[in-house]
Amino acid sequence: MHPQLEILLQIQDLKAQRRDLAEVESERKVEEEEFQIDPEQAIQSIDEKIAELEGELTPSVRSRYERISRDRGRAVVPVINGICYGCFVSIPTSLASDVRRNDEVHHCDHCGRFIYVVS
Amino acid sequence: MELREFFDRDAISLDLKGETKDEILKELIGLLGVDEKSEAILFKMLRRRENLGSTGIGRGIAIPHCRSLVVNRLRVAFGRKSNGIDFQAIDNNPVHYFFLIVAPPLEVSNQYLPVLGKVAQFAKEPDVPSRLAEIQTPDEFLNLLAEKAI
Repeated sequence: MHPQLEILLQIQDLKAQRRDLAEVESERKVEEEEFQIDPEQAIQSIDEKIAELEGELTPSVRSRYERISRDRGRAVVPVINGICYGCFVSIPTSLASDVRRNDEVHHCDHCGRFIYVVS
Repeated sequence: MELREFFDRDAISLDLKGETKDEILKELIGLLGVDEKSEAILFKMLRRRENLGSTGIGRGIAIPHCRSLVVNRLRVAFGRKSNGIDFQAIDNNPVHYFFLIVAPPLEVSNQYLPVLGKVAQFAKEPDVPSRLAEIQTPDEFLNLLAEKAI
């Protein structure tokens, strides 16, 4: 897997974790009651890690990541059965073949999101 | 759906070898059968979650969990370490039983939280720790889940 794609996946995973803690009341409750987590402290810690990982992105990847995050929310999405799961448009067969290896940083021609294939 | 339906025999280990938190997490991830890079990303995510606070909920049970883009559906695994290890659990006791739960950030069926809740509920059943200690085969583990009908 391309190192920049790996960082992007980690950032997106952390953002999902943050979203659950900040916006999903039931998730927040489980973490607080079952695992005795302080959600506010956890969110702060997650934000710091996200910022650290964003600092590891190359300028070109970071520029697209910031633009897509700002305009479309999720910047990294899977490709499943040849479909971009950001915009649900088919990606060209030639690109699908390249994306499958996850060894380069690719984006969807239609929505611009970074794409990858789950093994 | 009941908890039993989420577990596969292949993702059950009754004899974890790891002696540390990290080794156990890696072993549990290995039960999911994802590729090496995905394993590494899952490990980082689970480790970060543990850094926020241990998922050891007491009574010898831990529920490491996270969402990650490297899986395309909810995945669960169970592992047992008979001797137990220090997992910095809430009650400070060694952890013997590990339920791993991983799900993608967006799920069509939204099963992650219900499954997390069901495992926590299962763990609170008074006889569960002793029953988990006694099981000899993955099928017996699955039967216990079915018996509890959670």
